[in-house]
Amino acid sequence: MATSTTPTPTKAPAPSKAPDRQERDQREFGWNVMVWNDPITLMSYVVLVLRRLFGYDHATATKLMLQVHNEGRAVVATQPREQAEVSVAQLHSFGLQATLGRP
Amino acid sequence: MASVLRRRGRIQVKVDSRERQALIGILDSLSPRLAAPLAKAPRAYDEADLQAEYDRWVRPDIDKGREADVNMVRDALSGGEDTLPLTEAQALAWLRAFNHLRVAAGEILGIEGDGWEDTATDATKQRPEYGVLIALGYLQEELVAAMGS
Repeated sequence: MATSTTPTPTKAPAPSKAPDRQERDQREFGWNVMVWNDPITLMSYVVLVLRRLFGYDHATATKLMLQVHNEGRAVVATQPREQAEVSVAQLHSFGLQATLGRP
Repeated sequence: MASVLRRRGRIQVKVDSRERQALIGILDSLSPRLAAPLAKAPRAYDEADLQAEYDRWVRPDIDKGREADVNMVRDALSGGEDTLPLTEAQALAWLRAFNHLRVAAGEILGIEGDGWEDTATDATKQRPEYGVLIALGYLQEELVAAMGS
């Protein structure tokens, strides 16, 4: 029976391709929650919804609402993806037009 | 005319019998149309796979919640009382229901841009859905003011 005295070469594990930190953070934490303008929903109602869902003070919520009204859309929060999805679902439940996406 | 008050931390909707019947009529006529505007709404995601997951796992709960909001308003209006006390959660449900109804009315009227109040023709103003937009808009403003006071 032949024996080998030379050690069996072990294959070095392929270096794991660690995701770039900034890219990973953006993927996991940098999702924008966006509200879109619609011609029916009342401005005061949008302000109330933004205050209730995101805890904004009246001035901040009003500023965001006006940005939605004047520019057609506004990023109202940047959150991890799962949280951003919950926020969009809540906005949808209030009848607002909302999306989430990467910056 | 129906009004909304806040007394001792409680919100009260004052609505007489004729107004309750009118509101129930609005609920009955527009309820079947509530899902239609959602088809035109922006998708939650740009990515098709993520949107499919959202439609499968999240959208049904939103649809159920919309029905529950409308049913809550209908039940309250059907109770025969002129004064309807609302908790904060109930007031939010009323606001959501009114918004869904207004969006459905706007969809029926074909409203696609801001300024529709200024450009509506006399014929449009005679349509019942236009009355819904105005009446429920008034009640929404009253509720928002009561909740913020």
